[in-house]
Amino acid sequence: MTTDTEAAVSTRGLTKRYGATTALHGLDLDIPRGSVFGMIGPNGAGKTTTMRLLLDIIRPTGGDLTVLGRSPRDGGAELRRRIGYLPGELHLGTRVKGREFLAHYAEISGPVRKGAVDDLADRLGVDLGRPVRSLSKGNKQKIGLIQAFMHEPELLVLDEPTSGLDPLVQQEFHGMLHEAKAKGQTVFLSSHVLSEVQQTAHEIAILKQGRIVERSTVAALRENAVRHVKLVVAEADAAAARSTLDALAGVADTASVANGPGTVALTATLDSHVDAFVKAVALLDLVDLTMEEPDLEEMVLAYYGTDLSSTAEPVDADRKSAKR
Amino acid sequence: MNRVLPLFRRSMVDGWRGLLGWTIGILAALFLYLPLYPSFGGNGQMQQIIDTLPPELVRSLNYDQIGSGPGYAQATFYGLIGFVLLTIAAVGWGTDAIAADEENGQLELTLAHGVLRGQVLAERSAAVLVRLAWLAIVSVVVVMVLNEPSELGIEFGNLVATAVAFLGLVSLTATAAIGVGAVTGRRTWAVSAGSGIAVYAYALNALGNQSDELSWLHDWSPYSWAYGDSPILNGWNGTIWLNYAVVAVLLLVGWLAFRRRDVAV
Repeated sequence: MTTDTEAAVSTRGLTKRYGATTALHGLDLDIPRGSVFGMIGPNGAGKTTTMRLLLDIIRPTGGDLTVLGRSPRDGGAELRRRIGYLPGELHLGTRVKGREFLAHYAEISGPVRKGAVDDLADRLGVDLGRPVRSLSKGNKQKIGLIQAFMHEPELLVLDEPTSGLDPLVQQEFHGMLHEAKAKGQTVFLSSHVLSEVQQTAHEIAILKQGRIVERSTVAALRENAVRHVKLVVAEADAAAARSTLDALAGVADTASVANGPGTVALTATLDSHVDAFVKAVALLDLVDLTMEEPDLEEMVLAYYGTDLSSTAEPVDADRKSAKR
Repeated sequence: MNRVLPLFRRSMVDGWRGLLGWTIGILAALFLYLPLYPSFGGNGQMQQIIDTLPPELVRSLNYDQIGSGPGYAQATFYGLIGFVLLTIAAVGWGTDAIAADEENGQLELTLAHGVLRGQVLAERSAAVLVRLAWLAIVSVVVVMVLNEPSELGIEFGNLVATAVAFLGLVSLTATAAIGVGAVTGRRTWAVSAGSGIAVYAYALNALGNQSDELSWLHDWSPYSWAYGDSPILNGWNGTIWLNYAVVAVLLLVGWLAFRRRDVAV
């Protein structure tokens, strides 16, 4: 059928316009098989549009799109049976019970392993004996997750999967993603915050106003993230410490702050070069050293902040910087 | 797919409460109206009342034949209360099939599964038409049960022809709602299309009844196609099938648009 080497999802110049508004400006995306890929971006960035295109719920205006080696349009029902999808806005108003509801979808997208639905329901903690519409938002979301996972599809497309879930269930969900990856399933998930995807996703793409503005791995983001450091030295050593910091590459915003009698605290920011920094300050007589975990969310927010539409000719200029 | 027609069966199971309610409604209407005929219509009393009404009104309500048993069943049930009841059911079910499901967000989930859009449209339309057919069959059974005791004198063959004409007419309003829902995905438009075509059909027929100069309007009224040649008296005629032809066209147009367009936007 399809080889394992080809990407699970591949897009070239994928464009989607709704009348005069353009939701996606030529997206180039490759999601390798067996990976967990996170797409993050603010509301209206085009995450849901991208995912709906994969499921053939909406059709592209331009560009190429293949999902598991097929075009969603030609792949039809057969292709969608190999995909599990959780919509971003899950509205479940049906009066039928959870079990019956899931059985319906199992019938059209199956086969579903016997007991799979109950296992998932136990893990996520949802009562399948209740009418779906009477469930809380979080419990509806669990039903949505079950229908996406139950037939163990090759590709999981999950639009803001943890929305409405409590932290314990989110933890369980992350476990499910790890298992899916271990089984060779590909996961494509979206969120508007990094923290939801950074635990599970290897690769991420940051989407803004229909364009990918950054593609990276969580590890690379962390490596390049700005860290806040604080070292405490004896008053006598303050000048030496200061000059050590000033001489180091990557250190900025150095400042002295009062720190009780006899000691001085120096704060600075550090972008990468952690190794060089630690080796240099190791030569000082340190009273204390604090290095904060980098705030990746802050980095991502910085991407959100860049207004792509403020300049007069934004498209080409931003394309170049976005498509590095 | 393990079993056949999963969406059709789902629709039927989801809709059984509604179907039960409409069945009771049809039974109530028939059991209220038809037993009145011997004491009211059969002895000429009804005709006397009708004669006192303005002829325009009588013609609008299609009450000109009300003095006979078949005419009474036609004028009270098939032409009026049954038509209104089944039209409401048909438009509601037709709207739910695509438009309402799309607006409340669940169609997106269904289409993301292993189904084709044409299949969704076909199976759900079939579920609507089967439910309407059930109600038409219920009416035939009840009219036959009441035929003797209520002294209606309706011939079975003519009754079947009337029920088929009736079903064609209400199927038209249902598929107008389904088809417009499939094209637009908007609940309001689907409801407007379904109820609009019912009002149009009835009003055009009523206008056409008024005078010979206006009778050409009958040619354009689905209501006249169904009942114009009085199938309850005269049995089968060709125009009954015109409504079914339009039903087929509406479903075809709906399918062509539905398979191409974006859903849930």
